[in-house]
Amino acid sequence: MKEFFDMGGYAAFVWPAYAITFAVVAANVIWARRSLRQAQASARRRLAARAEPA
Amino acid sequence: MNFTWFHRLGSPPYVYALARRLTPWFAWAAALLIIAGLYGGLVLAPPDYQQGDGFRIIYVHAPSAWMSLMVYTTMALAAAVGLIWRIKVAHAAAAACAPIGASFTVAALVTGSLWGQPMWGTYWQWDPRLTSELVLLFLYLGYMGLRAGIEDTQRADRASAVLAVVGIINVPVIHYSVTWWNSLHQAPSVMRLGKPTMQSSMLVPLLLMLLGFTVFFGAVLLVRLRAEILTRERTSGWIREALGA
Repeated sequence: MKEFFDMGGYAAFVWPAYAITFAVVAANVIWARRSLRQAQASARRRLAARAEPA
Repeated sequence: MNFTWFHRLGSPPYVYALARRLTPWFAWAAALLIIAGLYGGLVLAPPDYQQGDGFRIIYVHAPSAWMSLMVYTTMALAAAVGLIWRIKVAHAAAAACAPIGASFTVAALVTGSLWGQPMWGTYWQWDPRLTSELVLLFLYLGYMGLRAGIEDTQRADRASAVLAVVGIINVPVIHYSVTWWNSLHQAPSVMRLGKPTMQSSMLVPLLLMLLGFTVFFGAVLLVRLRAEILTRERTSGWIREALGA
């Protein structure tokens, strides 16, 4: 197991590379979901604003 | 030839509903492919005869770099379709691509630099491949900045589409930079004419990762596309139904 984490002496380069890539993957999931939620919320607000004429 | 499928792809309600239905399939397929690719790349593949275990950075670097180029190409094609046929959904798709592509361009640059330090002895070099990839990041950022700077969505769509289409020039420049100029970066080992230059125990995990990231792009694009469609559809009644409001 230790051997695996050592990556033949390249651990300081291999693991950060994997970490940054999967941070980007996770960030994409979070950002995309957030942008959909925000768009849905603002569409709902528009609908509500039109439902009750001022 | 029946083109109704193409016309339906220009219809926001149809695309919105289709995107919602397809997202879980893309997400699960991406997760399975990437997990299999990681296991193959980190555990099953043998160390490289020159680079030892350091070569395993390829399993995140090459997919990130592939995403940076493939997403840009998708974005430019969607932008061109939007410009030529004035299809709103195409512009929405182009806009949805940019943040995804930009983020993976950053991943490609950072993982490349983490690979460069042990193998070339430097994190950064003003080399043709590295420099053209950095230009790609600026193209994405310019595209997003341009969109953010124009209030009217239709005008933002058209202006940013022109930038996306012109910027496509950079894609072949990046790909061929290692062949055209003397570059520190190694030549392509998979995306080349003829057979890949890797052993299958190393190659198969890489192909799984490339496919997994591509499908992942599909999943994220579908979610972002729905958001972009909603912001463009100000008055349509179908939104009420789609939101269940």
